[in-house]
Amino acid sequence: MITFEGLSENFRFLVLEVSGQLRATHEFMRAPTRELFDRITGRDDYIDNLKTIIENKCFSRIHTDNSLDRREIHRIRAIHTIAVNLERIADFCVNILGQMAHLSDPGRLRPDEYDPIFAEIKASLNRIIPALEKEDLPGALAICRSEYELDRLYEAVFHRILAEMSDGRSVHDRITTIFIFRYLERIGDSLLNVGEALIFSVLGEKIKIKQFEALQKTLSTSGFGDSLSDIDFRSIWGTRSGCRIGRVERVRGARNSTGDAEGGGGPAQTGPDGKPVPAPGGLGSIYKQGNKKKIIKERDNIARWSTLFPNLVPEIFGYHEDDDSAALLVEFLQGCTLDEIVLTGDVEILQNAMFVLLQTLHEIWERTATPGPVPTDFMRQMRSRMEAVLQVHPGLRREGVDLCGTGALSTEQLIDRCEAIEKTLPAPFTVFIHGDFNVNNLVYDHARQAVRFIDLYRSRDCDYVQDISVFLVSNFRLPVFEPALRERIRWVMREFLVFANGVAAARGDATFQARLALALARSLYTSTRFELNHHFAKDMYLRSHYLMERIVAHRGTWESFRLPVEVLDCGGNAIMREDTPCALAS
Amino acid sequence: MSSEEKFVFESLQDCESIRAFLEALTEGVGSKHLVLSTGGERIELYPQGLLQVEVKARRKGGLSKVSLKLEWKDAPRVETTDRTLSVSSN
Repeated sequence: MITFEGLSENFRFLVLEVSGQLRATHEFMRAPTRELFDRITGRDDYIDNLKTIIENKCFSRIHTDNSLDRREIHRIRAIHTIAVNLERIADFCVNILGQMAHLSDPGRLRPDEYDPIFAEIKASLNRIIPALEKEDLPGALAICRSEYELDRLYEAVFHRILAEMSDGRSVHDRITTIFIFRYLERIGDSLLNVGEALIFSVLGEKIKIKQFEALQKTLSTSGFGDSLSDIDFRSIWGTRSGCRIGRVERVRGARNSTGDAEGGGGPAQTGPDGKPVPAPGGLGSIYKQGNKKKIIKERDNIARWSTLFPNLVPEIFGYHEDDDSAALLVEFLQGCTLDEIVLTGDVEILQNAMFVLLQTLHEIWERTATPGPVPTDFMRQMRSRMEAVLQVHPGLRREGVDLCGTGALSTEQLIDRCEAIEKTLPAPFTVFIHGDFNVNNLVYDHARQAVRFIDLYRSRDCDYVQDISVFLVSNFRLPVFEPALRERIRWVMREFLVFANGVAAARGDATFQARLALALARSLYTSTRFELNHHFAKDMYLRSHYLMERIVAHRGTWESFRLPVEVLDCGGNAIMREDTPCALAS
Repeated sequence: MSSEEKFVFESLQDCESIRAFLEALTEGVGSKHLVLSTGGERIELYPQGLLQVEVKARRKGGLSKVSLKLEWKDAPRVETTDRTLSVSSN
């Protein structure tokens, strides 16, 4: 155990004191005496002080000791949370005593009901020190689970008393009894916090027991052994889509379910053909837990992608669902996300990555193209995210303007007009799209010269313009303004536009540029909700409105509409004026 | 003291579309009456007499800027419903 001068000792005392209070309260329920009452209430002040001392030591240690590593900091934070909850448990004991005073007949409290509750609490308190010292995950989980058991025991008592109350007698005593048991149940809530703090101390992640159980079940269905302490669960990468995402790795030297030792960051195992075989835990996995519908959608989409294009998407190692959430364990892909390549890779690697990406896309579009026409819904997407945009940037909408007789339409008017136009511009065909074709949802593996897709819950048969616009704007909105880097971003956008325009020409997609203008207007506007740099967000908002104005102002056939490429500031105007079929198409 | 009236409109235009705005403004100056309104807010301006004109142009770090500023003093409003001369400004 990492020792912190005095802190560990104080903490042990606190656990012992609270255990003592619990024992005494149990005794008091059996045989209340004045002496016991005074002893318990007297010790409460001491426990309060002890908690304050621990709290002070925890904070001052974190603030003053720069040599602490992450693990030690996690441990101190856990100690603090546990101390706060232990003190609360002691308070509940005193509250029980207070309620006992209102009971005319202490005999109403049935030992067969409260003994198992006290036994459960006591067992959990006894687990705290060993779990903290040995970083024992099963011990921490057992403490968490005691809350379920305490809830169950409380519910039985509650329903029994409620049923008895229908005779209308001793209502006062019975309500008091419910209050007393309710305090015991609340001790369970505090124990749950204690257990979760212990999990945090071991894993270094704030993870709720439900999420943890989902992780555990998902891991066990995917070939990981039972010992969760062999798993390094870390890096919560984001919760933007409402999912918790983390990386799961085997701890170096730990054994997999077949007993083979594996290195956490070692090279991939190879199969009989000499090709690397992704093994659960070998390269690590990505764990996603969250909204059931989204996770199911992602699982099904990955399955469909794998059938169509094996190796394009990560392999699924495990899946688990409960009532309202689901969890997925998928292969951790080697390589870098494309935005990393754009911003930090060698020029040659970036050129390679783009070449591979465009080839991959071309193949996908060729093989999954299905004749339309199908309606698009870019303006609906824009409208549905408007509230979220305005929450972040309240000023990013405008009223209609009259400027000495000439004018500008309001944001809503522009969307309405564009939506009416969009209805007349169905996509001539669909392809199976990624659905969130953000530059950071593409992983490029230079060694294998492969681009792979991640984050696939929005994949569907749709207009390819959806993916094209999201990809372009995800590049445009990279918050990088250093001229040389910006030029790389511009190059990526130009390359992509040339390719997309070429595909459109080869397929005879005559309204491509008009639909792309609508899609870009939507992507530019909705992206502002992720951009806190107001100046940059406003720039994207203005560009989005400019595009809508150009669409509304267009006269003539939609086939003659030319996308004002300057909205992407990538110097690609000339590209869009020529309908050169894509070189890959020939 | 009269309260401040203000009109602000920002947008992105290309050279073609911005001509319409500039022409409308030019016409307004010619007729000595500019009406600008947005979202229920409305401001009417009456350029008259001598106008101070400031033209600024700037190019720096790949960013160019031209600004045209017209400034004038509003004529005091003359109330003539009465035989007594009354002068106020707002």
